Amino acid sequence: MTRFSPSLIIRHLILLIGAVVVLAPFLVMLSYSLKSPAEIERGTGGLFGAQEMMVDPKCALRSAPRRADVEAARDRFPGRDDGAILATLTEEANAACELRPVVFNYRSAFQDAPLMRYLLNGVIVTASIFLLQMVIALPAAYALSKLKFWGREAVFGLVLFCLLIPVHAIALPLYLGLARIGLTNTYAALVVPWIVSAFGIFLMRQFFMTVPDDLVDAARMDGMSEFAIVWRVMLPTAIPALMAFAIFSVVAHWNDYFWPRIVVTGDRSLFTPPLGLREFQAGADGNLYGPMMATATVIVVPLIAAFMLAQRRFIEGITLSGMK
Amino acid sequence: MATVTLRGIRKSFKETDVLRGVDLQVGDGEFVSLVGPSGCGKSTLLRIIAGLEGQSAGSVEIAGAAVDGLRAADRNLSMVFQSYALYPHLTVAENIAVPLRMRRLSTAQRLPLVGRFMPGTTARLREIEDRVQDAAGTLEIDRLLDRKPGQLSGGQRQRVALGRALVRSPAAFLLDEPLSNLDAKLRVHTRTEIAELHRRLDATFIYVTHDQVEAMTMSDRIAVMMGGEILQCDTPARIYEDPVDLRVAEFIGSPKINVLPAESDSAGRVSVMGRALPLQLEPGRRALSLGLRPEALTLTRRDPIFSGRVAHSENLGHEIYVQVTLDGGGHRVVLRADPALRAGLGLGAEAGLRFDPARAMLFDAEGRRLRGVVATAPAVREAWA
Repeated sequence: MTRFSPSLIIRHLILLIGAVVVLAPFLVMLSYSLKSPAEIERGTGGLFGAQEMMVDPKCALRSAPRRADVEAARDRFPGRDDGAILATLTEEANAACELRPVVFNYRSAFQDAPLMRYLLNGVIVTASIFLLQMVIALPAAYALSKLKFWGREAVFGLVLFCLLIPVHAIALPLYLGLARIGLTNTYAALVVPWIVSAFGIFLMRQFFMTVPDDLVDAARMDGMSEFAIVWRVMLPTAIPALMAFAIFSVVAHWNDYFWPRIVVTGDRSLFTPPLGLREFQAGADGNLYGPMMATATVIVVPLIAAFMLAQRRFIEGITLSGMK
Repeated sequence: MATVTLRGIRKSFKETDVLRGVDLQVGDGEFVSLVGPSGCGKSTLLRIIAGLEGQSAGSVEIAGAAVDGLRAADRNLSMVFQSYALYPHLTVAENIAVPLRMRRLSTAQRLPLVGRFMPGTTARLREIEDRVQDAAGTLEIDRLLDRKPGQLSGGQRQRVALGRALVRSPAAFLLDEPLSNLDAKLRVHTRTEIAELHRRLDATFIYVTHDQVEAMTMSDRIAVMMGGEILQCDTPARIYEDPVDLRVAEFIGSPKINVLPAESDSAGRVSVMGRALPLQLEPGRRALSLGLRPEALTLTRRDPIFSGRVAHSENLGHEIYVQVTLDGGGHRVVLRADPALRAGLGLGAEAGLRFDPARAMLFDAEGRRLRGVVATAPAVREAWA
């Protein structure tokens, strides 16, 4: 049995504090997505909220009794004055609009914003980016690691240099270029600027350096062309490294708010999930934190689920220990 | 099956000359070993033959046709690599099938899923499968066909690599130290198998190794390479018994040949460590090296040429290697002795040595073999015998 030595306890305490710092915002997000607006404002309700019935304000507004409704209801309430009828009708309408806060938050998330559409856009954009990045990075990395040509080291130096360029520095020229050829507000605008990934080329090149040259030579003797070697030999052996790259690429582009915000200006059908959060931004009636946090939860869940499912392979890929 | 001819092959990497003019003729169905210490250029030469590396000068001919500038894939050669170089993601059967798939199927037919529906694919695939079965049968790996290389032992991987090479009938097989990753026992076993495979296939083999035992036991001819040149290319027996260069004599043979300083006087009489030998060279005073194989030395009590003390002995069971430190000069020589003599060969025991002068090899200061060695007066010769 392990004894709890003081140093062990201190180590775990430090790690625990780190974990809390990282996880607290997530917890708040999750908690808010479950609570009613009143609970959020007052800071009550604990983690899950009391889940007491609440009235959907939009629904209530929609079905609030009008003059005509009062007229029509006069037969049902003989002898009452209009004020009392109106009060009763309002109460009835509100009763019909009652629901649990959690249902309210998540229903608003999917109803007020076409969240499914945004999620679909997210999948389309991240998948196309990753596939195209692979199409470019694998042959480039193969050439930089296994082919001998004049200036190879210089080219690799340029790739390293590109790693140092921050996205935001070139955003404006990129935007202007895309605008000039009329590609803003298209999927292309979301995808094209990212398909050449210096990081991807660098990562795959480092991995290919560890693939024995004999394997490439054997493939050549077996009659493969250089392109066939890339797709039939290097790609399958590089799966762990590709997985690692996939995490970086997919996470970065799924969560990207900056670039979609720039190139998708009007067309809501092109919104990616993070843009969907804007739907719940402060309006006349204040921030709707509940639905907003519900949206945020829906956005991060696919990534977390994917990570959980493929956890082992991901870690394998990051440590690049898959080949031996 | 075909001949392979090399003419004046040179290769330099920047300033360094790795190969300095190599000529070699490998006959149809011949087993030729390229043997030499690491860094002698033997692997580079093999890669140049394969087309994986370009030569700086010279030409390679396969079956009489120059193949310079032809891609490795188009030279119709098979190669077995030291690391086996199996495709880790493919099963054994798929690994062996790769060379055939790449050559017999068109690009469209190789496509996943769709390929099967291209006209003629099914027949070709069946043919490939038969060939793979044949190759696997030859190498007795039929039961491993569904495994991945990662699940195989070193010896099994070796066989799969061989299978991938022999599944089609290439002009020649190139083998680059294929046994060096196997353990000693398996190496001896596989050595025999490769030699038998060569006889059965009657194919041209070019075999690179740094292990002289492999070269001696398997080859029709051995090309001993050093410093980017072929020093001697001959049958194993002649390489061993009649080396043309001291470096060849030293490289081939285990234990190593004994080399003692000798000299010749103005009349051409040869003496070693001050003792005149019944050997005659062209007149002229020069420094020589005298090479004696361990089995050329014998123990004697009567009138020894050298005497010394036993410094170390290794008992191999069927024979003993005795290291003797010679009196005067401290040179150490190794001789092969019968285990029956073990009793008299304790550490520090006195040992008298003699040899048949006809079995001694003389080399000049540059290491070149000197011939025309003749016994002097018959009387002297008799006194020696």
